Amino acid sequence: MNDNVLLDVKNLTHVFPLSKKIAVKAVDDLSFRIYKGEIFGLVGESGSGKSTAARCVMNIYKPTAGEIIYKGINTCDLSEFRANKKMLQTTRQLILQDSNSSLNQRMKVSDIIAEPMKINGIRPARGTMRAEAEFQLHYVGMDHSFLDKYPSQLSGGQRQRVAIARALSMEPELLVADEPIASLDVSIQAQIVNLFRHLQKEHGFSFLFIAHDLAMVEFLCDRVGVMYHGKLVESAPTKELFANPIHPYTKALLSAIPIPDPRRERSRKIKQFVADETNFSGKLTEISPNHYVLMGE
Amino acid sequence: MNDGFKIVGIKETGQKAEAKKQKWYADKPVIAAVLLGILVLCCLGCKFIMTKDPTYMDLGNCSKAPNSEFLFGTDTMGRDIFSMIWYGGRISLFIGVAATVISTVIAIVYGAVSGTAPGWVDTCLMRLTEILLSVPNLLLVILLQAILGKANVFSLSLVIGITSWTSIAKVVRTEVRQIRSSEYVIAARCMGGGFFYVLWKHLTPNSISSIMFMVVMNVRSAIVAESTLSFIGIGLPLEVISWGSMLSLSEKALMTKAWWIIMIPGVFLVATLLCITSIGNYIRKNVNRTHSNL
Repeated sequence: MNDNVLLDVKNLTHVFPLSKKIAVKAVDDLSFRIYKGEIFGLVGESGSGKSTAARCVMNIYKPTAGEIIYKGINTCDLSEFRANKKMLQTTRQLILQDSNSSLNQRMKVSDIIAEPMKINGIRPARGTMRAEAEFQLHYVGMDHSFLDKYPSQLSGGQRQRVAIARALSMEPELLVADEPIASLDVSIQAQIVNLFRHLQKEHGFSFLFIAHDLAMVEFLCDRVGVMYHGKLVESAPTKELFANPIHPYTKALLSAIPIPDPRRERSRKIKQFVADETNFSGKLTEISPNHYVLMGE
Repeated sequence: MNDGFKIVGIKETGQKAEAKKQKWYADKPVIAAVLLGILVLCCLGCKFIMTKDPTYMDLGNCSKAPNSEFLFGTDTMGRDIFSMIWYGGRISLFIGVAATVISTVIAIVYGAVSGTAPGWVDTCLMRLTEILLSVPNLLLVILLQAILGKANVFSLSLVIGITSWTSIAKVVRTEVRQIRSSEYVIAARCMGGGFFYVLWKHLTPNSISSIMFMVVMNVRSAIVAESTLSFIGIGLPLEVISWGSMLSLSEKALMTKAWWIIMIPGVFLVATLLCITSIGNYIRKNVNRTHSNL
């Protein structure tokens, strides 16, 4: 079991200091594991610390406390990070939410896709950088006519595909996607999620998928973690979580999913969730295999 | 039957007064660009234009007014001004460009460091530029030139370059602060792009448009600085021909009523500066217009 763990986040805490006296605990004692070849979804409302957690995983933020073990390497430790810098930077890739700002407006699509290869000095597997970019572009369902375009000439979905192609060009083992579909409209969301699913099957990379759209998470992920105010309140395999939510916050969250049937939708009751201290203290307890819930002692 | 209402389609509005066809050269500084191009080309190809050796002192023909042999006359040392203009223009333009390159490189690196560094470093660096900005430029140049010793073309461009980067650095820093938190920079850092990679690939191309005007204007001020220094006698020595050192002969010329010695280099200098200013203004207008839809 232990060999299969790709990413192990232990007691991750990240605090943003606002002033000398006030600090915001964005991520509070977060622990989760991602196994090889698995899609792990992290859901939660805005400001629950999902993105901060992802950025800690990608070493953009330095966590205040806790450990992030990737392939047995503690990435929070500076000397260990430096020693394995190249491996860490090539095998972990990030996809960001806003494809408009995650692509440099002054670079052509072919340059954008080849950028990680250029940075890391990797010899492209298909001869030239351009051929490699074209291959990756085909892979995400776009043809070579887009190679010489600028991001501003593409639609939102196409831009996000380019961002995905850029991440995939490194053949990553861990792909971290920070709300990759949040800025897209529903039809494009479906395309992108299908693409993720397809790519994950072909490449077999592990995937940390951050979203606030529960329907997409249910469709895509193998396991889901629910975050609230920086804490992981419940984590379970997707089917288990959706069938049998335990934590009151998870219940409230799941009850908010719209049902595509007008009659049942009208009778749907959204559960009110009252934040109560007792719900957020205690430990993650395993109540059934792989189903963890934050519960008071 | 006819109830007075029927759909007839879109109302013909007729052709509005024909929009005047925009000429391709409309509001482009064509004259300035052509003039500057000719000046630069002639200076570069001075060997083919010069009618005399610009350094040869023809003591028999001192301070001759323009005539058919000496097109622009000769100076007090008998050198042919027509040849000196092209020959010396090279030095003036070279100093202008070299000083600008030096100051722009310093400004971009300094501004980018200041823009990406943590707060207190940023504050220190910016206060330093403000201190430098508040010292009169000429004073700094004279001081540095005194340290470097006897002026030559390279030391002069260096001195002018390292005293004129402050205002560009401030603009670069502001731009970088905006760009550095944008997601493509984060993505590039994640992929392993180092500071200089991000600087060169992402920060510079995205901030170049806003400093372009200042860079072009810097060429102008560097040429002016060289002329000023040479004019007051601490720039290039007389035997190194540049427009500035030609102007430094003016005091003698004024006493002998030889207007051409001052007027001709002066006219060339002013024409060059006007051309550069006009092109700079065009760039500024253009950047402002297209900035929103990069």
